[in-house]
Amino acid sequence: MTKAYRLKNINVHFQQKCVLNIPELNIPAQKCIALLGANGAGKSTLLHLLAFTLPASSGEISLFGQDIKNKLNSQQRRKIAFVSQHPYLLPGSVEDNIKLSLTLQGIPKSQHRALIDSALEQTNTVHLAAQTATSLSGGELKRVAIARAIAYQPEILLLDEPFSHLDSQHIQILESQLKLYSQQNNTTVIFSTHDRLRAMTIAEETINLVEGTITQSPLLNVFHGTFEQQLFHTGKLSINTNSSTQQHQAHHIAIDPQQIIISTVALKSSMRNNFKGRLILIAEDAGTVRLTVDCGEQFHVTISPESLHQFGLTIGNTVHLSFKSTAVTVF
Amino acid sequence: MSYFIESLSAATSLIINLDHDVYQVVSTSVLISLAASLIAAVLAIPAGVLFSLQHFRGKAIIQHLLNTLMAMPTVVIGLLLYGLFSRLGPLGNLGLLYTPSAIIIAETILIFPIMMNLAITAVSSADPRLIPTLISLGAKPIPLVIHIIRATRLAMIAAIVTGFGRAIGEVGAAMMLGGNIAGLTRTMTTAIALETSKGEFELGLALGLLLLIIAFILNFMLSWLHRPSHD
Repeated sequence: MTKAYRLKNINVHFQQKCVLNIPELNIPAQKCIALLGANGAGKSTLLHLLAFTLPASSGEISLFGQDIKNKLNSQQRRKIAFVSQHPYLLPGSVEDNIKLSLTLQGIPKSQHRALIDSALEQTNTVHLAAQTATSLSGGELKRVAIARAIAYQPEILLLDEPFSHLDSQHIQILESQLKLYSQQNNTTVIFSTHDRLRAMTIAEETINLVEGTITQSPLLNVFHGTFEQQLFHTGKLSINTNSSTQQHQAHHIAIDPQQIIISTVALKSSMRNNFKGRLILIAEDAGTVRLTVDCGEQFHVTISPESLHQFGLTIGNTVHLSFKSTAVTVF
Repeated sequence: MSYFIESLSAATSLIINLDHDVYQVVSTSVLISLAASLIAAVLAIPAGVLFSLQHFRGKAIIQHLLNTLMAMPTVVIGLLLYGLFSRLGPLGNLGLLYTPSAIIIAETILIFPIMMNLAITAVSSADPRLIPTLISLGAKPIPLVIHIIRATRLAMIAAIVTGFGRAIGEVGAAMMLGGNIAGLTRTMTTAIALETSKGEFELGLALGLLLLIIAFILNFMLSWLHRPSHD
């Protein structure tokens, strides 16, 4: 599989604080990938790094197999388009902005008309072509910024929180356009979001970030705390893990919601983690049911709709959660 | 009091009747200041933008130096250039002393730090997304500078207008380097000083009134450029 990016031993520091630490990361080409994480997890920093608008403090990045030592050359720059969380349009009309991106990329004028029309059509912004930035709504502005970015037909489209500050109607429009764009153009689309469901709806793969590090956990049931031997203390609960001594420097654990067993009575089993709690939320989650149980810490548990029906669970029920120490990911 | 009123009346009459001497001085003054402003703008504005884009050790010191140069007395510039342009000076063979070129050079040096500082301020007060957006769209160094100037053009025009205002009101260097030669290097400020000392108060007053009108027009332009609703 072709790799769009390969990152090795990447560190980014701001004011002597490490905000991103990636020992190794391979990002495949021609896929739609979501960068998932809470605010401050390092999503924007990673995107800026991938856009080469922010240099890494140390480490190596390769783009389509080519090591990037300093700045990108014109050909490499043309492969990447970046749309920031709060896009900025320069003075002039929407069309002027798209034309500017083509001019800056050194694309011959003879091709401008066709590329502008194509970008406007793909983002459904043809009717906005003559408008200025100040007259656009938040959703329109983001779509226009995407039009400007895709006009020169990049191989990688990077989008920082494209769905933030948008109403549900504009989110739906943007979601479907991104999906379509990714499929039709064989482009690598990488977008950041803190919304796990949205990421799963659009992306083929997700990269999960927690406090600047990449984790394989699905970012549910993530707890912050400290280790004492194999016991992880969150401050409210102690959770058994099967961590090695080397992992005891870690400060996070995550528990796969599908590995947690929920019951109405305490189970007698070999599972080393057993907690009693109160069911506080029942939600539909991509064809399954997500339960939130407050055991001092809040746990998310995934069950099937049939199981929900079978258990007859309702909000406020007292329930028991059990999971093995091997279900705990340490990072 | 009647002397002042009579002089004011005579000065107004000179302005209204388009007195040749008055308007020759005005045109010399405006042309010299315009030339200095254009040369300084071509140099100072890209320099200010480039300075804003670079991060290097000693940047703060250069910024302080520019601030100091903004307040540099014009007679000091006149004095230094006089030393360079005088017959025995290192640039004496260029024959620049007592020519409009000498005044243009002096005024360019005088307003360069003002324009550069204002250009730096224009970039730093522009939308913080402007430069990252242009870089991410693939702007190379020269197009980057051009598009930054274009995006901040109103502030840049304000910098040029401010520089022009400083140049046209300058007297020390113009007097020392121009020599106040009628029809050649006699500017409004030097003429006011000379005519008043000769007792030709009405001519000095006429030029003073015109200088005030120019200052008013420039300030009006600056206010218009800086008005809140301006896009």
